[in-house]
Amino acid sequence: MGNIDELIAKLAQDNATVKPAPHPYKLSLVWMGWATAYLAVSLLFSGLRPDMAAKFHEPWFVAEIVALVCIFVATSLSASLLSFPDIHQLRRVAFAPVITFALFVLVILLAWRADNPPAPLPVHSFQCTMGITMLSLLPAAWMFYVMRKFASTHYHLAGCCALLFAFSIGAIWLRLYEVNDSIVHVIQWHYLPMIAFGIIGLWLGKVMLKW
Amino acid sequence: MRQSLDGDQRAYTVLLQETSRLLRPFLAKRLSFTNEVDDLLQEILISIHKARHTYDGNRPYRPWMYAIARFRLQDYLRAHYADQLHHADDLSEMEEYLHDPVTESAISYEYISGEVEKLPGKQATILRLMHQEGYTAKEVAEKLGMKESAVKVAAHRAYKILRRKLAR
Repeated sequence: MGNIDELIAKLAQDNATVKPAPHPYKLSLVWMGWATAYLAVSLLFSGLRPDMAAKFHEPWFVAEIVALVCIFVATSLSASLLSFPDIHQLRRVAFAPVITFALFVLVILLAWRADNPPAPLPVHSFQCTMGITMLSLLPAAWMFYVMRKFASTHYHLAGCCALLFAFSIGAIWLRLYEVNDSIVHVIQWHYLPMIAFGIIGLWLGKVMLKW
Repeated sequence: MRQSLDGDQRAYTVLLQETSRLLRPFLAKRLSFTNEVDDLLQEILISIHKARHTYDGNRPYRPWMYAIARFRLQDYLRAHYADQLHHADDLSEMEEYLHDPVTESAISYEYISGEVEKLPGKQATILRLMHQEGYTAKEVAEKLGMKESAVKVAAHRAYKILRRKLAR
């Protein structure tokens, strides 16, 4: 008991004015703002796919991009909430990525069904995964750096959401840059690796966000 | 908590004292030893101090505080059980000792009391109760809220450690 009182006295002595952490919604908006700017700069350097205007008249392509943007928003929101010990008492919102992923899978499956006759596979393969990974590394590192300043009690999920957020930037970038109509290629070399990195995020969260 | 975030040391002391008062029964219900409760309580208070910037004054304090307490408790239990598994002895090896009288010993307690105090908390308590206070394994089990076989196993492990130390 004496130890506890001593500790309390010590902690109280150490207590200075603390700047409260921003609201998770604000935090998420800041993350999305920086990520959008990063995506815009990347597209400025790489250029947009030449058939972009025509692609935006294809409903499944538009649905795919919208679903990716939903993942981008939901994972950013969830990562920011999961950075707080009590998930900012907004537990339901934190699990929004589950719904957006279900929507995404549905869109991809329907787009796959609609791809008839199937578009020819491009000659390249793993280069797409490499491209997405390279582009996503910087936002991923930055996300973990920022999230370490908070106090996550769900570090596995927080790590997963952080990586999914970073890799959704890479996935959007490649979809807007690469001239490719094969949904099979996109699933195999864009989205499956993205999900695999999300799973790696579960482990990385434990390593990076433990406090 | 809002006053504490503004640097009010007195308000912060009261808050931590109140937190400690709330958490003590919460931890005592989940842990068997007072020293474990104290250790973990200290750890939780430090965690609350470290994470205080993540508290938003517009939300209730208790869910935030209990979230940290549960997180630290889970961490503690995970480490505790992992450690136990690491040091677990073969069950078949244990079985032969379970029927042995564990309170009889050729060496007097006073002779080894210094070494007993260096044992992990639970083992030291069990040996102290059995050899200094003269309780039987069954009585110790009742006193500590453990199973008799668990007391015997803990005592056996303690003897093993002591034997190793005294043999040096």
